[in-house]
Amino acid sequence: MVVHTDSMSNEASALVTPARPPVRRRSLRTLALPYLITIAVLITLNFFIPRAMPGDPISSMDDPTSSSYVGDEATRAELAGHYGLDRSLGQQYLDYLGDLARGDLGTSIRFGVPVSDLVGERLPWTLLLSLTSVAMATALGVTAGIHSGWSRGRPVDRGLLGLFLGVRNFPAFFLASIALFVFSVQLGWLPLAGATTPFAASDDPLSRLADIAHHLFLPATVMALQFAGFPYLVMRAGMVSELGSDYLVLGRAKGLSDRRLKYRYAARNALLPIVNLTGVQLGLAVSGVVIFVETVFAYPGLGRLLFEAVGFQDYPTLQGCFLVLALLVVGANFLVDVAVARLDPRTTA
Amino acid sequence: MTLAGAALLGLLILVAVLAPVLSPYDPRDSVGPSLQSPTFAHLLGTNDLGQDIFSQILWGARPSLLVGVGAAALAVSVGVAVGVGAGLRGGWADTIAMRVVDVFLALPVLPLLVLIAALVGANRTTLIVVIGLVRWPEVARLTRGQTLSLRHRGYVQASRGFGGGLGHVVRRHLLPALGPLIASGFVTVGAVAVLMEAGLAFLGLGDTTVVSWGLMLNRALLFPGLYYSALWTWWVLPAGFAISLAVLGFTFLSVSLEPRFNPAWQRSTS
Repeated sequence: MVVHTDSMSNEASALVTPARPPVRRRSLRTLALPYLITIAVLITLNFFIPRAMPGDPISSMDDPTSSSYVGDEATRAELAGHYGLDRSLGQQYLDYLGDLARGDLGTSIRFGVPVSDLVGERLPWTLLLSLTSVAMATALGVTAGIHSGWSRGRPVDRGLLGLFLGVRNFPAFFLASIALFVFSVQLGWLPLAGATTPFAASDDPLSRLADIAHHLFLPATVMALQFAGFPYLVMRAGMVSELGSDYLVLGRAKGLSDRRLKYRYAARNALLPIVNLTGVQLGLAVSGVVIFVETVFAYPGLGRLLFEAVGFQDYPTLQGCFLVLALLVVGANFLVDVAVARLDPRTTA
Repeated sequence: MTLAGAALLGLLILVAVLAPVLSPYDPRDSVGPSLQSPTFAHLLGTNDLGQDIFSQILWGARPSLLVGVGAAALAVSVGVAVGVGAGLRGGWADTIAMRVVDVFLALPVLPLLVLIAALVGANRTTLIVVIGLVRWPEVARLTRGQTLSLRHRGYVQASRGFGGGLGHVVRRHLLPALGPLIASGFVTVGAVAVLMEAGLAFLGLGDTTVVSWGLMLNRALLFPGLYYSALWTWWVLPAGFAISLAVLGFTFLSVSLEPRFNPAWQRSTS
């Protein structure tokens, strides 16, 4: 979430009292408030959206024409009691909050196990994939951005700009399918699906790690390509605005090498916004692209679980995935806010 | 850039409107042997049900365009109303509106869309409403900023001074001045909406009674032997490219509009 600062009055007060403008630190609590509201909204949505729809799990039992009609009044009441549907909406909401607080996300209809177990099993893979891909995207975008900005307007710059802007117009699932077809099917370099080789012959940790990396490479690269555009553009713009700075002119006059000026001087100064961006990207990765990429590569993360839950109309699992993904996104954004507040004193004033 | 964007969107509209005339078969009918490779009779071959893929591509332009334009229109109307209202009223109305915007911007969009589409059912109206409703805050934030600065311009002040009511000022001065920003917001949301419609359909959350590109990909990628023959090249590629080109059309327009109309951009380049 962007922190609004009143820059005009800041500058004005800095002019009047140049010595040390009073810094009012925004406490962690003020910073966290909008996020807490968001989380409350998400939890409430998660509870009310299913209940806002016509019918409930036992409405078909009331209907004499339905195949699951239950004629016996007492049995119907007992079933309603079992699902907690005989209580008031407010009471159900409180029950739901209580369950959440105990980490109880309900039971999966498809798999017949607690949703929290499923989610716990899949979460590490999603985290691994998202973190790896965002790290790759940042490395790729920053490197290309330095290069592009430094040689602004030349063919290299135009080519890179077109590439990074263009690739974002391709839906992630389409890119993923192309990558899978070319590298896994046609060339046979990389595995087709999953995160590990089932029934692997060797069991020692090193080959297991290699196996995981082997499976991770293609999905992470596809995701990284989608996300490299942002850091690339930011880095390129930063480099362009550094070009022609006095310190660069001086450095050149001193006879410093082009390489040194590019990486040690200009790039370093243009790097700060990347910190903020990387956190935002992590939130974006978890909240969107990861679902598509995991689906195409059959990667056993939360996104794939969400897809399976949709297919089997497994609503408790669907809701569990939604809640955990949503909390991850909100958490990532909150961490960015905190990090930026720490790094850049202007945003806390 | 503007020309390319307009051309792509023009093509999309043309195909969407003329789909019944242009397509050789009904996209829902089984008109040939299943999984046939491209021939003159079936330019892009047939899918597992023997449906003509070329006809499906043409018909697929409809939901894409409809959802893109519908969601963009909704997001822009709500966004502009809230942005202009907040910017003009100021005070507590502004504070509350911007807080709501903050909360909306922090919502994880795709998981939310999946949840709603799965539970409420993914017909086109639902998609338009939901995508529009998660996308308006960006528009609201931009319009509010611009309204704040327009409010203090001479001609607006003069109009108010001569007794022009709020409605008059908004209609005669603010909306025309915001026009470019509104146009730019419209195409930006349009691109996202096309991607989301395709994405949800790909996840199996499309309207199954309507032929759409995302649904074609969903069906194709769930087909077990997809990757083991040339099937992939005529079943997946055309639909994927169709989505990409539609998005590209919106993106081109938005990129070409942006430098002219985004106030932040103007500041940084002048």
